[in-house]
Amino acid sequence: MTQIFEALPGIEVPVGAVGHGLRSMWMDAAAHGRPAPASEDATATQVNLVLHLGFNTTTEDAIAQFETAARFSRRYPSRVVILCPLRDEEDAEHGMRAKIYGECTLGKSRDDTRCCEFVLLSYPLRQRQFLENQVSISITSDLPLYYWPHRFSNNNALADYHYLLTRSKRTLIDSAVALPESLSYPWPRPEAVHDLAYSRLLHVRQAIGQFLSRYPMDALCEGLQEVIVGHGANHPAEARALLGWLRDRIGLCGKNRAEFRTEDDSSHGPGSCSVRFVYDNAKAFTWTADLTQGYSLFEADYGSGRTIFCATTKLLVPEEALSDAVFF
Amino acid sequence: MAESDRHPFLQGLSKHRGAPPTVIVIFGASGDLTARKLIPAVYNLSYDNLLPADFFLVGFGRKEIPDEKFRELAAGAVKEFSRRELQADVWSRVASQTTYVAGGYDDRGAFDRLAAHISGIEKKLGREVQPLFYISTPPSVFKPILVNLGASGLASKYLGQPHHAKVIVEKPFGRDLSSARELNAAIQAHFAENQVYRIDHYLGKETVQDLLVQRFANAIFEPLWNRNFISSVQITVAEEVGVGSRAGYYEQSGCLRDMIQNHTMQLLALTAMEPPVSLEAESIRDEKVKVLKAVQPFSVDCGGDVARAQYSAGMTAGIPVPGYLEEPGVSPQSATETFAAVRLSINNWRWQGVPFYLRSGKRFARRVSEIAIQFRRPPGTLFAEGDRFDLAVNTLAFQIQPDEGSSLVLNGKIPGLETRTQPVKMSFRYATTFGSNTPEAYERLVLDAMIGDGTLFIRGDEAETSWKLYTPVLDFWRLKGKEGMDAYPAGSWGPKSADALLARDGYLWRQP
Repeated sequence: MTQIFEALPGIEVPVGAVGHGLRSMWMDAAAHGRPAPASEDATATQVNLVLHLGFNTTTEDAIAQFETAARFSRRYPSRVVILCPLRDEEDAEHGMRAKIYGECTLGKSRDDTRCCEFVLLSYPLRQRQFLENQVSISITSDLPLYYWPHRFSNNNALADYHYLLTRSKRTLIDSAVALPESLSYPWPRPEAVHDLAYSRLLHVRQAIGQFLSRYPMDALCEGLQEVIVGHGANHPAEARALLGWLRDRIGLCGKNRAEFRTEDDSSHGPGSCSVRFVYDNAKAFTWTADLTQGYSLFEADYGSGRTIFCATTKLLVPEEALSDAVFF
Repeated sequence: MAESDRHPFLQGLSKHRGAPPTVIVIFGASGDLTARKLIPAVYNLSYDNLLPADFFLVGFGRKEIPDEKFRELAAGAVKEFSRRELQADVWSRVASQTTYVAGGYDDRGAFDRLAAHISGIEKKLGREVQPLFYISTPPSVFKPILVNLGASGLASKYLGQPHHAKVIVEKPFGRDLSSARELNAAIQAHFAENQVYRIDHYLGKETVQDLLVQRFANAIFEPLWNRNFISSVQITVAEEVGVGSRAGYYEQSGCLRDMIQNHTMQLLALTAMEPPVSLEAESIRDEKVKVLKAVQPFSVDCGGDVARAQYSAGMTAGIPVPGYLEEPGVSPQSATETFAAVRLSINNWRWQGVPFYLRSGKRFARRVSEIAIQFRRPPGTLFAEGDRFDLAVNTLAFQIQPDEGSSLVLNGKIPGLETRTQPVKMSFRYATTFGSNTPEAYERLVLDAMIGDGTLFIRGDEAETSWKLYTPVLDFWRLKGKEGMDAYPAGSWGPKSADALLARDGYLWRQP
């Protein structure tokens, strides 16, 4: 994790001087003619986002998540706090360290200059009891807090992050990189946990929802025996999330005896995904997609002839999925 | 529609992501508004994946234009006017479903062809498609279009179902009360009110919608939002440009019709209305109508509640510009006002005694639209000693364009041993906080009409109530000709007669 902290962008400052460091950073940027928040506007922040990197995060992965947070922050100006834990045995000599980073995006006019600020904290695990106090003074008070534990894999550690888990409006988990059971950990506020894999499926849910909404629910549910979500190697988590959504929707039919399952099917490529409704009668529905290429095909027959329909269907890119999980 | 009433496969999705299969028919397809606003709006909705999968665009106009040529024109409009660059894969989705039907607006046969065209789309698709008619033509052909939509059966298509035919009507909604009533009657002869979407693009602006949020989602404002704490309200819709190439239209219209009667009155209604019982369209529109009905008739005489003027030669952005009467296409004897201001009184429990000042004009010092709420001064004499205290009136301003946002002027202490005060301004800028690439008003409004949400549209009785107030003013001005017409230099903040409207009450116009 030391390498991650070193590899992420930013200027190292004393942990106790984060606020002063941010102010100096902007003054320095303005003095050198670089984009900086106009002094009378200060920084306009909408949200606090705490990205907590798990021990399984590699340096490349950390940089990718940092960049996702940065792109999100360009759209929704944020105070981003990135937490980099150190294993006690590997970094015994290190205490807590801090880095700051900021960037402004120039828009169409001076008033369209959006700025975001990052505070990076590296901490040895043995000091984790002090971490949350440090986070509390690194975020912008009175604004919503979103907690994004990346590659979180230890439910025994939940108690260590009580502040973040209870104060945050939402906790964002990506079931594609966390353990599948992570969604059912005993989170202090399970209703606040959102799966980024589910958010990535927004356009898929919209496309399938719009297509199936042309049929009455009775027609969709009557005789339904099985719902199968197939997936290529890249999308098992999305398939699970999609299956959960379909189960919820079909569940609104009331009593039904359909079975629900996912199916590993890489015969159509690693980016493939499909949905199949199996009936005990002549009705049929299939949706097959190549999520890498971004297209999908609907085929359905609910008694009035076979309907075939093509659609553009892409997964949301990471920063869009993040904003969907945060705001919607 | 309640969430539980939606199809289960749409529940949980934003209502804006659940638009039914739709065919938008644009009347006036080769017109300026279509190119500048409507086609780019459709493109950006497609870009944001907000159009239904089964979406069709049909242009309708007098000119014979082959489908392919219409697609080319539409692509050109996106390139020139869209807030986003044309992206081939996004555009191809729209273009592949775009067609054109040529015909006269008074040609019944053309509308039968249009009906057959829509039926053909449905047949090919194998399902019913919601027809959404966008009347983007000069007002002179509103009526024949409405009549033919009725006669061809298109107006009543799928009536009684959620995907029933809908019609969007562009302003002006009449020229005065009688023509507004006539237009409403023509509309209502063929469409029920819940099928009609009268568009005022101001209502599609984020800041205007934010006004409702600021008022009713913040507990700190509502207790102060009345005559006990507010001394006056100023609403300004100012343009920096002159009449330009629109002299032909403007000479027939004038500032009162073009701006005051619609845009500023909508801003007034949202500022002054009572809290609606819900966020449903009808609840909000009911409250808007109620407050408009409480507005007292104007004293139209000189020295009364209204002022009008024309801009004279002056300077804009450092460049000398001609006066209105010297503009190409304007009659030297023109009695058309390029500026209008009114002083309104709202006779209800909340607002009695609080003057509302509305003004709009061309060739102002700068382009700005804002609502400014001015609060009463605090009681007592604590900070009233001579010149020691520079106390400003607390002013909450909602800036609608440009630089959308809001600001609040407070009084603060200047650091030092002595107690001296100075006004300070707290600002919130939409673009700084949310970025400026927010949807254009037309994107929001077209999508709202597609999903059947009339909240941001004007109801027939709203338009009539507003015309009822302003028709006596127009009649009086017509009677007087140029008598009483003031002038103001281009690039200024308006005429002296408008200043006098406020001076009587001890106020000054803001220069935002």
